[in-house]
Amino acid sequence: MHAPADPAPLPGDRRHPGWIAWALLAPMVFWLAAFVVVPAAILLVYSFCERDEVGGVVFRFTLENYQRVFDPVYLRIFARSIGYAALTTAICVVVGYPVAYTIARASEVWRHRLLLLVMVPFWTSFLIRTYAWITILKQEGLLNGFLQAMHAGGGPFNLLYTPAAVVIGLVYAYLPFMILPIYGSAEKLDNSLIEAAYDLGAGPVRAFSAVIVPLTMPGIAAGTLLVFVPAIGMFAITDLMGGAKVPMIGNVIQNQFLQARNWPFGAALGVVFMLMFVVTYGLLQRRGARLAG
Amino acid sequence: MPASLSRPSIPSGLKLLNWFLSGWTALVFIFLYVPILVLVVYSFNSSRLNIVWESFTFDWYARLLNDGPLIRAAKNSLVIATVTTVLSVILGTGGAWLLHRYRYRAARGIQTLVAIPMVMPEILMGISLLILFATAGMNLGFTTVIIGHVTFCFPFVLVAVQARLQGLDPALEEAALDLGATPLQAFWRVIVPCLQPAIVAGALMAFTLSMDELIVTFFTRSAAATTLPIQVYGLARVGLNPMLNALSAIFIVATVAFVLFSDYLQKLGRR
Amino acid sequence: MKKLHSLLLSLATLVALPAVHAAGEVNLFGWSEYVPQEVLDGFTKETGIKVNFETYASNEELLSKLVAGAGAYDIVQPSDYTAEVMIRRKMLAPLDRQKLTNLKNIGPQYRGMVHDPEDKYTVPYMTGTVGIVVNTAVVKDPIKGYRDVFQPKHRDRLVVLNDNREIVTWAFYALGLPANEVTAANLAKARPVVASWIKLVKVFDSDSPKTALLNGDVDIGIVWSGEAAILWNEDKKFQYVLPAEGAHQFVDVLAIPTTAKHKDEAHQLINYILRPEVAKLVSDKFPYTNPNLAARRLLSPEQLANPASYPQAGNLQPFRDIGKAAADIDQLVTDLKSAN
Repeated sequence: MHAPADPAPLPGDRRHPGWIAWALLAPMVFWLAAFVVVPAAILLVYSFCERDEVGGVVFRFTLENYQRVFDPVYLRIFARSIGYAALTTAICVVVGYPVAYTIARASEVWRHRLLLLVMVPFWTSFLIRTYAWITILKQEGLLNGFLQAMHAGGGPFNLLYTPAAVVIGLVYAYLPFMILPIYGSAEKLDNSLIEAAYDLGAGPVRAFSAVIVPLTMPGIAAGTLLVFVPAIGMFAITDLMGGAKVPMIGNVIQNQFLQARNWPFGAALGVVFMLMFVVTYGLLQRRGARLAG
Repeated sequence: MPASLSRPSIPSGLKLLNWFLSGWTALVFIFLYVPILVLVVYSFNSSRLNIVWESFTFDWYARLLNDGPLIRAAKNSLVIATVTTVLSVILGTGGAWLLHRYRYRAARGIQTLVAIPMVMPEILMGISLLILFATAGMNLGFTTVIIGHVTFCFPFVLVAVQARLQGLDPALEEAALDLGATPLQAFWRVIVPCLQPAIVAGALMAFTLSMDELIVTFFTRSAAATTLPIQVYGLARVGLNPMLNALSAIFIVATVAFVLFSDYLQKLGRR
Repeated sequence: MKKLHSLLLSLATLVALPAVHAAGEVNLFGWSEYVPQEVLDGFTKETGIKVNFETYASNEELLSKLVAGAGAYDIVQPSDYTAEVMIRRKMLAPLDRQKLTNLKNIGPQYRGMVHDPEDKYTVPYMTGTVGIVVNTAVVKDPIKGYRDVFQPKHRDRLVVLNDNREIVTWAFYALGLPANEVTAANLAKARPVVASWIKLVKVFDSDSPKTALLNGDVDIGIVWSGEAAILWNEDKKFQYVLPAEGAHQFVDVLAIPTTAKHKDEAHQLINYILRPEVAKLVSDKFPYTNPNLAARRLLSPEQLANPASYPQAGNLQPFRDIGKAAADIDQLVTDLKSAN
């Protein structure tokens, strides 16, 4: 897109693609065109249409849906969803990074075992897992029982159906998607690196933060993308563990299809949501490219 | 702090750091497995609604074996997740490598497109794919479900592999080429092994996402292609019973056993 | 644009046509877990007709698949207000009542209901209400209606359906407004009531509101009668009350879409479900109200005594389709919840 204006010299490992390279990329481009661009285009068309009583749309042009999107009600909900996603991502980085690093440092046999063990809990069903959490967090639940047995004062605590429960649920659901990409980029680090840092006189914490963390930055960035972006649209956890008291943007969009029968407005919300993402992501990429070039 | 002073304390510092990291990891694993433990314990609960503990029973395991639709749904989920994972790994790894190695004109645009399925709310993807399939005259079934799943799974593989590629030494491929390998050989013999940890991570994520997806599947499936999450969601209307816990428990135990057993086999093979 | 759409739809149906329709099968598209497997097995055993059962989780999923023209269905199971729209849009085929000899088993109060005044297109399957369930072990004062539920003393002890239209309708009842006249003026009147109510609720849950009650996290709920019936079966302390101000009654019906290809088999299956001993099987699994009076006679005294399945007579009203106003309701409740 911006290639003609791109002044950066080509690094050795990047070449102009010949027709073979394009042919190899073609399946992915085709897939994206057929199953991402076309559906997105359908939504775009729908977002300018009028609603139909049975769900679906009447093909009559209107801007009404977009006017509603920018109602402060929905903007506030956007902001809240982004806030929860950001908090989740931050906690996931802090909690997940040491785990990813430890797995990457383990012996080869244990590496794969541990990696699988991170993921296996998520092969059960979401609802079953969430109900297990409810069993733990409810007022007469296991956690309160445990605290009482330990004679911790102040209980029983009201944990379930609070924002705290929502954050626990979100971190639980997204942690693996932070751990795995960080592992992917930490695995290639040499043990001698951290030792070399010690030899140069850095303390253990500094050696870790000044040497190891920067080298795994691509993994952290990838994990952030894989956690933050899907977490914005998440609402099943806020519904089940938060009692559905505050709506998320995902709720609002889903309601347009499953309750209000207002497909065009749901589509408009989705289009704005995706556009916001595309613009932000594009800017970040450009900045990244500039920093790299 | 002068280097000479801190030097003697280095080994203990290193040890301390390692202890801390291992302890932290153990705690996180406890966090990950506490609900799973609860779930397994409750699979032996005689109470049908499975909310309060009644008494111990194996009943649900026996009933599970006789529940055709549930077993079928579990099988469907495994098939769909496996096919989805294979396709996602091919598309994701290949795409990441090509985007990394060549400077395509539309690279940035393609990159953004790849990320869109991650941001697109599931209900929008489900409905727009339904409209697309219906318009194209495709009958709903396994194919349409898998298409839907691959669309939101392969970006996860691609992003994970790309993160790994960023630190890859560009000399690696050149060395292979200099030694007379064709580009395909260089990719297959040199690059893929280097990317393996990220590919494994990506594959695990794709499999997991596919196993647990509900909403896109709703709109793209047919009766024959009912998956486990859909079956479970339906059961929630009448009350989730411990049979589902039993199924989850069997699944987890089988997976862990498989992992341990495959290691054991490998060890035998090495001898 | 409209032309394009209908062109696409007709294209879709054209391509869908070649699908094999072997004699002796019927495609049922119903609520998940709502038709017991033994009913379908029994039908197949008796007639040799294979039943392909596909499920959906909401009326909207049913509508979107039908509108998109995906899949070929012979029997659908919409709720009354959805059936009303489908009839208006000519999506349902008239039933051949000659073939439905067991229709006589349906009680007179479930015939000619507003969604289908002449019983031309639909047959009632199961019905139910939305009412109040009270944990009488904890709540001692009498609860008779919505106003008794939404009291400051019950703050954070309430679970209600996570359904915006339901919540607004309860406010309408409490204010004495007609439930289906959703106008801007009426919504403005209901707004402060809904706002004060929402603040008191601990959990909004439509899928399994019984969970919070059984867990002891809340003491009072406004829930589907089926949920309340399960609670009562579990523990008699959970009492069901139809709100004095008025309550929503819903009917899930069986109907045949105009696009059905196995209409004859579809009639056979509907007639089979209308048999008393078969309809009883549905009641055994799902403790909603059975409109099949002949089947009710086969139920156990315990089943009939369940106050949620067979409540005392109350002021029951159906939901009518309210068109565009559904969006206004959604915006109102979203707005109020978000301000919380």
